[in-house]
Amino acid sequence: MKKEQSIRIENLTKSFGSGDSFVSVIDGASFTINKGELVALVAPSGAGKTTLLMMIGCVVDPTSGQFWLGEEKVYNNRWLTNNSRQIRREKIGFIFQAHYLIPFLNVLENVTLVPQTNKIPTKEANAHAMELLKYFDIAEKAYNKPSQLSGGQNQRVAIARALANNPQIILADEPTAALDTERSISVVKMLKKIAAEQNVAIIMVTHDERMLKYCDRVMKIEAKKIVFE
Amino acid sequence: MINLAQKDISHTLGKFIVTAMGVGMLLGIVLIMIGVYRGMMVDAEKLLKDMNVAIWVVQEDTLGPFAESSRIHEDFKDTLKVIEGIDKSQAFTFQNLQLYGLQKPVRVTAVGFNPFESINPINPTNLIKGRMLQKSHYEVVVSTETGFKLHDKIKIARNYFTVVGLTKETVSSSGEPLIYLSLKDAQELQFSSSNASIKNDRERGMSVSGDGHTVNTIAATLKAGYDAKSIAKKIATWKHLSVYTNEEQTTILTKNLVERSAKQIGLFTAILVVVSTIIIGLIIYTMTLEKMKEISIMKLIGIPDSIILKMIVQETLILGFFAFIFGNIFSHLIYDKFPKRVVLEAPDALGLFVVIILASILASFVGVGKVIHADPTVAIGG
Repeated sequence: MKKEQSIRIENLTKSFGSGDSFVSVIDGASFTINKGELVALVAPSGAGKTTLLMMIGCVVDPTSGQFWLGEEKVYNNRWLTNNSRQIRREKIGFIFQAHYLIPFLNVLENVTLVPQTNKIPTKEANAHAMELLKYFDIAEKAYNKPSQLSGGQNQRVAIARALANNPQIILADEPTAALDTERSISVVKMLKKIAAEQNVAIIMVTHDERMLKYCDRVMKIEAKKIVFE
Repeated sequence: MINLAQKDISHTLGKFIVTAMGVGMLLGIVLIMIGVYRGMMVDAEKLLKDMNVAIWVVQEDTLGPFAESSRIHEDFKDTLKVIEGIDKSQAFTFQNLQLYGLQKPVRVTAVGFNPFESINPINPTNLIKGRMLQKSHYEVVVSTETGFKLHDKIKIARNYFTVVGLTKETVSSSGEPLIYLSLKDAQELQFSSSNASIKNDRERGMSVSGDGHTVNTIAATLKAGYDAKSIAKKIATWKHLSVYTNEEQTTILTKNLVERSAKQIGLFTAILVVVSTIIIGLIIYTMTLEKMKEISIMKLIGIPDSIILKMIVQETLILGFFAFIFGNIFSHLIYDKFPKRVVLEAPDALGLFVVIILASILASFVGVGKVIHADPTVAIGG
């Protein structure tokens, strides 16, 4: 069975400045990640992982190249939509080092904020959010504020939020950086499970090589090029 | 859709209420300032309205009796009566006094009039206790604001006066409480010299002054169908006096006397409104700064600026609205504690509401600017 592509990138480049101040960060990146895959992105500091992640996340404009989210081409040397924020809202989920939940919203509201912004009816958005919260075993905390939850519970809510808009891809920026080894392994295993069960691609930036064995593939940035192990 | 402003406010409700109360107190002061101005205008017209006369006759080339000193002879009231169109005329004196007998001396304006004639400066609706003057001497009707009670004895100059009546909210154009006494007593107070003074004058070879028939003004009412302006002009031309219609006298009091004070209050009020706007702006700026991380995250996960800006603007408007409510409550709680009249009127409050809503929208621009420039990438890359 042919795997569905989640993200496809062709010849993506990113450079800054011109003339003497010209700096190339990513040079001709090309890769495809399919739905259900957990891919680790590993590179030394300053190698361009954050830049790559922000380009994939439609936060930073690439310099050139082509870029598909699912089957939809979103970038062809320029954004093919005027509203890159709408692409993020509809097709991308984000997980950060810290949970970064909105403190004045309760758990359910945090999870439904993006779907409701996407004009999903409140009832439908709430039902989907409750399913996700049950999946992460925190449904009973649906009406609690993030300040009333433990760090681990908040991290699970943040992952539920990333899934709430049924994204093509989840970008996880060092989600285990602040955790001990045991909890890090548990989070990565959970991401692997989510990728498989929710049929979503996840790119996880990590510095921890112990986590790589739990990922389907490892993507590295070497001399501005993307290579897979 | 989730209302972010309402959620954010309820998350920090205590802080929000205290902030709104703080701004509200400032707005309350603005309302009080406007009320002081309204009070000045009411005070300026109060005595004129109570007396309800058509013409004021005063010393030539003066604006008397309230704006400038004026002295004319009492018997001119009889001359006036024969002029065609004049219905009633009566002599009055007005003078400032300081009364003793209570814990603190009380500054008052004394109105002297003949209680047996028909123009009565005491509006019966203002008399809340006791009676009108019924004797030619040593009776006084006082405003409750003086602090004196019915049957109190007040020493004025050499004589004791009995309080026979109490009036409410009767003040002079400058806001001092009024007392009413007979014309004879008032003339003696204002124009007669003491025995020691007369003796002294005699010893110095000076003529003994003290005309007991001088008054400050003659006020007159008109018969139906006569025009106050033309009669005033006629009297002024032939009798070497200044004559003002009640309308002109009102203008002298409200425009000439109160206008400078009104401008001062108006400027002070405008400054307070500007200060309130700046404070609301600073509060919103601080509130926005506190949420910058959340705003950046919201931008990153795709929440449009319009929704975030709506939150900031709504919070500012809600702050302005509650500050206005608190300001109104505050001003209504304290307005009667002021020594002079403060008049709080609904149209003024409504006007301030409009100004504060506009000021809030203006103040929200500060927060809006921060939102627009918030960097969505701060959450990525640790």
